[in-house]
Amino acid sequence: MKILIRSARIVSKNTTLNGLVRDIFIDNGIITQLDELIDVEADEIIEGNNLCVSIGWFDMRVHAKDPGYEHKESLYSLEKAALAGGFSSLALLPNTKPVVQTRESIHYLKRAGDLVKFYPMAAVTVNTDGKDFTEMIDLHEAGAVAFSDGEHPLQNPDILLKTLQYLTQFGGVLINQPEDKNLTHFGQMHDGVVSALIGMKGMPNMAEEIMIMRDLKLLEYVMDTPFGDLSNDKSLLHFSCISTAESVNLIRQGKAKGLPISCDVAAHQLCFTEGDLVDFDTNFKVNPPFRTAADVKALWAGLADGTIDTIVSDHTPHDEESKKLEFDVADFGAIGLETLFAAVNTYNEGLSLEEIIEKITINPRRILRLPIPQIAVGEKANLTIFSQDETWVYVEKNIVSSAKNSPFIGKQLKGKAIAVISK
Amino acid sequence: MQKLSTRHLLGIKDLTPDDIELIMATATEFKEVINRPIKKVPSLRDVTIANVFFENSTRTRLSFELAEKRLSADTLSFSAAGSSVKKGETLLDTVNNILAMKVDMIVMRHASPGAPHFLSKHINANIVNAGDGTHEHPTQALLDSFSMRERLGTDLVGKKVAIIGDILHSRVALSNIFALKKQGAEVMLCGPSTLIPRYITELGVKVSHNVREALAWCDVANVLRIQLERQHIKYFPSLREYSLYFGINKRMLDELDKEIVLMHPGPINRGVELSSDAADSHHSIILDQVENGVATRMAVLYLLAAQN
Repeated sequence: MKILIRSARIVSKNTTLNGLVRDIFIDNGIITQLDELIDVEADEIIEGNNLCVSIGWFDMRVHAKDPGYEHKESLYSLEKAALAGGFSSLALLPNTKPVVQTRESIHYLKRAGDLVKFYPMAAVTVNTDGKDFTEMIDLHEAGAVAFSDGEHPLQNPDILLKTLQYLTQFGGVLINQPEDKNLTHFGQMHDGVVSALIGMKGMPNMAEEIMIMRDLKLLEYVMDTPFGDLSNDKSLLHFSCISTAESVNLIRQGKAKGLPISCDVAAHQLCFTEGDLVDFDTNFKVNPPFRTAADVKALWAGLADGTIDTIVSDHTPHDEESKKLEFDVADFGAIGLETLFAAVNTYNEGLSLEEIIEKITINPRRILRLPIPQIAVGEKANLTIFSQDETWVYVEKNIVSSAKNSPFIGKQLKGKAIAVISK
Repeated sequence: MQKLSTRHLLGIKDLTPDDIELIMATATEFKEVINRPIKKVPSLRDVTIANVFFENSTRTRLSFELAEKRLSADTLSFSAAGSSVKKGETLLDTVNNILAMKVDMIVMRHASPGAPHFLSKHINANIVNAGDGTHEHPTQALLDSFSMRERLGTDLVGKKVAIIGDILHSRVALSNIFALKKQGAEVMLCGPSTLIPRYITELGVKVSHNVREALAWCDVANVLRIQLERQHIKYFPSLREYSLYFGINKRMLDELDKEIVLMHPGPINRGVELSSDAADSHHSIILDQVENGVATRMAVLYLLAAQN
């Protein structure tokens, strides 16, 4: 298969290629030519106005529902949604049924995917119930890229402490959503003016912030070990789905201290606030919940100054039976793969295109210790071709994912993935 | 004929001040009707109303049923205990099955905040919210306003109303706040600090944790029940302590040395939030509230039916 990309602007922060408009010729998966004008026969030509190209996009927080909940989304449908959104690689949370905690589960996920590469995370504790540890070294050897209990964040500080200590042995990373479940019990949305207005039990900001404070303290204890210097440039603790202004501050301070931490924000968190819940639309029911405008502003600032490393979709597919319900019985979560780039590009507050792309290409791979693809002759092609200007409306009937639970339905968005070349 | 600005009564939040005035005026007429020897009018003949109660209710359900019968509507009533809800049927399926029997209007009580709003997006019948979890109970607020106006003999502009008790779990409190603010009244909320929603002052209300202070301030005290059934976790130590520090008795009312109107949406926990001598005192208009509930609900049903 010979593919020619015509006149695409290369988006690649801090490299000499950045901003150059080039033709790229890919022969059998390898970049064989990279020039201003390539005159060659190709099976497929990708061209258009103002095309951009970058290395393949990476989403490091995706809820796979296969195996166990294929009625919500199969890996086949997940792959199609990822391609529609421009992603060549996804890291998958372990909350399937069975939970990803054996070599077999890791192999099942690694084998799946035709064009998209799936990187499985393994559970930290057996069945993600927060008690007994999984065989982390063995799972790491089998190919788990990170460890996380996913939807069931670690609550017990001693378990978290020992997990961090154990991961230092093989350079692993823990991905944990900071949420004190005792403070969000029965919570449905952000604890604020709107929750008071619509009589809904709230989830306070501090439920997230207290956990970040606590976990930073635990991490300091781990790093201050008498066994030798553990410091390196890799993240040991990754805070996933942060949502409050104070969380950004805490992580900023932790990074300034030199702690091995990183964090992500879900794209929808940058676009919506508590006010979007007044109509009880369950597509807006996510965890962490949509917060205030001040929190959203702080999240953008955290992205701009590098405190927040990566933007994720937190893609959480649900069937109609889990969402077309009374608000307080509906499940949390929204799909987001198909809208991630467009959402960030549309609602963007102060990021350059290069910065946005860095946060969905290089940074997640660094956090997960994965090799970073290059745009160069002789390299394997792992590319996303996209438009920054195309405007489109996200319409329910055009959703590629088998799940339709998106808060972006009906919204006009700017920016769209056009093609993914990988594997 | 004047019309409401909405085809459902989902909450007071959605009503305009004019809507509230229209309901008050219509309720006044219906109150006169239900005190006639022949209490029934043919206004809603051939209108079928389903009372769908997914939560226990005695007072509200009887009040709605009576209002419907006085208006000559055909009615059917349904409560969750005897339904297929326990077999796992969704709310939408249950209601659509009822609507398939050619029902025009749904009066619904449900434990989930926003449940009637959810329904309104998927069905065509008029919906009256008879209480949705801890969100709203609009007809209660309307009958409360009606009863206050009746006792005070004026509108509520500048009147001071204290709502005392478990504010956090109360749909009555929230609907009353919206209704009273729209009628120009001042509102103070009073209760243990753990039972007052943290951001409630954003709605333009005062907050106190001292019952005597609230009573001294107000013209009307609307006392709410402690909703133990909604408290999944601990909010205060004991009913004994609650009644000692937040309960109201007749002596406290008499010592105020002013006229005060005492209200309660029922059912009263006698000896907890209200002592019997206070509940049965001349200050109390608790039974007037019940009577006015029928007239107010007749007004709401009548005006919504006129929207079709």
